[in-house]
Amino acid sequence: MLLNVLASTLDSATPLLFAAMGGIIAQQAGMLNIGIEGMMLAGAFGGVLVSYLTGSVPLALLGAMGTAMLVGLIFDFFVVTLRANLIVVGLAINILAVGATGYILPVAFNVQGAFAPPGLRGLGAVPMGWLAGVPVLGRLLEGHTVLVYLSWISVFVTALVLRHTVWGIRVRAVGEDPEAARASGIPVKSIQYGAILMCAAIAGLAGAQLSLGELTLFNKAMTGGRGFIALAAFFFGGFRPSGTAVACFVFGFFEALQYRVQQIGIPPQLIETLPYISVVLALASMQIVRAWRRRRATNAQ
Amino acid sequence: MRTLARILTTFATALLVDAVILIVSGRSPIAVYGLLWQQAFGSTSAFADTLLNATPLIFTGVATALAFQAGVFNVGVEGSMYMGAFAAAWVAFTLTTLPWWVLIPLAFLGSAVAGLLWALLPAVLKAYLQVDEVVTTLLLNYVAIDITAYLVTYPFLAPGAANSMSVPIASQAELPRLVASSQLNAGFLVAVAVAIVAAWLIRRSVLGFEIRSLGQNPWFARTMGIPLARTIVAAMCVSGLIGGLGGATQVLGVNYRFVQGFSPGYGFDGITVALMANNNPIGAIVGAVLIGALRNGGTTMQLFTNIPLDLVNVLQAIVILLVTVNVGFRIRSRGWRRKQEAKTAS
Repeated sequence: MLLNVLASTLDSATPLLFAAMGGIIAQQAGMLNIGIEGMMLAGAFGGVLVSYLTGSVPLALLGAMGTAMLVGLIFDFFVVTLRANLIVVGLAINILAVGATGYILPVAFNVQGAFAPPGLRGLGAVPMGWLAGVPVLGRLLEGHTVLVYLSWISVFVTALVLRHTVWGIRVRAVGEDPEAARASGIPVKSIQYGAILMCAAIAGLAGAQLSLGELTLFNKAMTGGRGFIALAAFFFGGFRPSGTAVACFVFGFFEALQYRVQQIGIPPQLIETLPYISVVLALASMQIVRAWRRRRATNAQ
Repeated sequence: MRTLARILTTFATALLVDAVILIVSGRSPIAVYGLLWQQAFGSTSAFADTLLNATPLIFTGVATALAFQAGVFNVGVEGSMYMGAFAAAWVAFTLTTLPWWVLIPLAFLGSAVAGLLWALLPAVLKAYLQVDEVVTTLLLNYVAIDITAYLVTYPFLAPGAANSMSVPIASQAELPRLVASSQLNAGFLVAVAVAIVAAWLIRRSVLGFEIRSLGQNPWFARTMGIPLARTIVAAMCVSGLIGGLGGATQVLGVNYRFVQGFSPGYGFDGITVALMANNNPIGAIVGAVLIGALRNGGTTMQLFTNIPLDLVNVLQAIVILLVTVNVGFRIRSRGWRRKQEAKTAS
């Protein structure tokens, strides 16, 4: 049983990993992206749409990323160019995504409720080959889409990009101190645009995992708060890919647990609160530690 | 008055943008808006329903506006509403032997306390530990929704109920209807009263002054001797309190019980209302009625035509985006001016 839960954990963690990595990139550019949820939903929608129209999975993935990036562009326009409030725009983006996808489906495709055209090509599971025979690992690794593995790679890629590429360093400079960055010649607005677009693209992949992964359908309530859990994850992980990845797996575990735990009699709603409560606790303890350290430093003087 | 003009122009612009969307999808904006207007204001029952829809939004709008005035980004009013709603419901279905003139105020009191307490945690975290209130209040919303969902799915589930809901409240706790043809009830009057009290609070009371000073210039406020931490907590607590009252109104006036997930995002709509009204509590009434009109009209519109209610969501998102740009420009020019003044002063 535990093995099944662990296997589900890997699936559940995938959209969180993508979304959280995207969120980290945006955060490092100094922008807390509350709109990740909306970008994920847009990606889920785009992925299903392109798969339906073209029947091609690679194109569907591109479609997912593209649609999400469109939403990211709106976010960018209002936040970077028009200097509107970041948090509010993020919230508006989420509402917009739900509303737009909820509007386009019935109007353009005559669909009520979920969009699940028969024969929709999903991502499909990566064939295991000889690994299937291996006792624990085989069960753990079977039935995952390619995005699951890609999400693990994205953790390393994000860390790499942020620390060892010119672009990544510029992003961090912009996030650290935009004025200083501008003074040293970094095009702040372009970097901010780019960071959000990158975040959106990755969030789009998260959405694609949701709509083309285990289930192949689109429903405007599909993201189910995962964007906010991803937010929670990277707050929990101190805005670093490593800690965040751990948080994503933990939260993915909670999610996988939710579905099984009802059989044992533990209410799933309470399990659902765990990620959120743990973040609040983590944030509080981080600040307590910081305050304690500061007091120690001043006492020592 | 300027606020009113702002609200209306922003709304009008959003309607224009939405009109474009409608044209693109092959519908006549005039027909759709005409229908919306008719469904929202066209008859007594329609107008009453609009006010009914506006009632929770007045509460959440005022609650959010007060916190925003203190510079505290409380997006957790939804959570306070849920906790308040459950508290009111519990009082009203447990203490059933009390007469209505004790039970109803008691239920409201319970909801106010619950809403306040729910906002207290993020308030203290922000005031004394500088924990970002956006994240905490945002996430605690979902915790509140989940906890109350748990409560009515397990311990307080009404026996024999198909959905997760509590037992009905005592009949004497039901708020009286205002109009025969609608569910509009006395809760609307409570909402308007709360908005008026909030307007008085923010404009004439010491706390209101402290809140506004904190919001406009924290550094200067501190120099003036205003206790920042306590003001932050006070602002959040008032915000939570009002949110709680909003929840009570839904329970006592509309649902007559606690239903899991009863709020289709009233708290978040409250953010829209507060932004539209530039955090003015009286303006929030106008904003709430506008959004309430949209929701009422949109729901009926969805029933009779096949235009999905989501159009209203899109419209709302556009309104939020436009309003926040407006606000952004004002804040930027004020901040820039202040910086210039500071430069010349030094």
